[in-house]
Amino acid sequence: MLGQLISMLPGAALKGLVLCAELALVVLPLIVGYEMAKAYGVFERPWKRLRPALAVIGLGPGGLVPLLAGVFLGLLYGAGILVSVSREEGLADSERLALAVFLVTCHAVVEDTALFVILGGSAFWILAPRLVMALGLTAWLARRGRSRL
Amino acid sequence: MSAEHTASAPAGPPWRLALGRSLGRGRKFLWFLLINILPLYVASDLLVSSGALAKISGFLEPVMSLWGLPPEAAAVLMAGMLVNLYAATAVAAPLALSWQQISVLGLILGIAHSLIMEAVVVRQLTPRYHALTLLRIVLGLGAGWLLALVLC
Repeated sequence: MLGQLISMLPGAALKGLVLCAELALVVLPLIVGYEMAKAYGVFERPWKRLRPALAVIGLGPGGLVPLLAGVFLGLLYGAGILVSVSREEGLADSERLALAVFLVTCHAVVEDTALFVILGGSAFWILAPRLVMALGLTAWLARRGRSRL
Repeated sequence: MSAEHTASAPAGPPWRLALGRSLGRGRKFLWFLLINILPLYVASDLLVSSGALAKISGFLEPVMSLWGLPPEAAAVLMAGMLVNLYAATAVAAPLALSWQQISVLGLILGIAHSLIMEAVVVRQLTPRYHALTLLRIVLGLGAGWLLALVLC
């Protein structure tokens, strides 16, 4: 048994290295892209045209930067922008909740999807349901909030 | 935020700073792959090809079949929810799953992953982070179940 396991070790290690190389090939360019976008303030632009869409999901203009940071960078890597900007912009509690609900359902969309596409999954079926659910849940919350006022 | 930008401005153009930061992060990421993900893949591969994982997880068959997944995929869900998606990838890779099964796993775990680490961030936004973590698990498993019905 043990001898059999040891004889399988080199093959397993080789396949593991191939997986690591695939992950690196996908994620390293993403890291460079994210850092470039961050350095040029892509996540900090006011993108005025998106305002009406933001209102539908219960966010004011101040919610856009943290939303973009979360959706593209993710909760952990985007946490710096996400938390500091939502404090600076003085987001209302309802906006913070909308942001949290949207982002727990749908964040780091490029990286998370890519990992399972590497294994052979369908990008559409992995990503589209998350987007639809995030939009649906926050829009529903926002409508409920307005009808209460 | 703006103070941080002006303070670092004299060091060079933005792209150069970004490249420097990417190099640092990239190196850390490569180490993370070699130190964490490679050994996890090797362990998973050995557990799968020796048949041990199938033996241990056999009793989960009726539950996992709800998602059209083999019982071994329970280990993928645990790795993804408790550790992160890279760990899930390393555990899933040796399992020889169909694209439908990978997509179901990707959807469940896309919604519900790194639950403990990310709850720390969510907590900064809302005191209801417990409820949101539960929401992620329920949404993830629910959406995965529906997707399994659609694809399989």
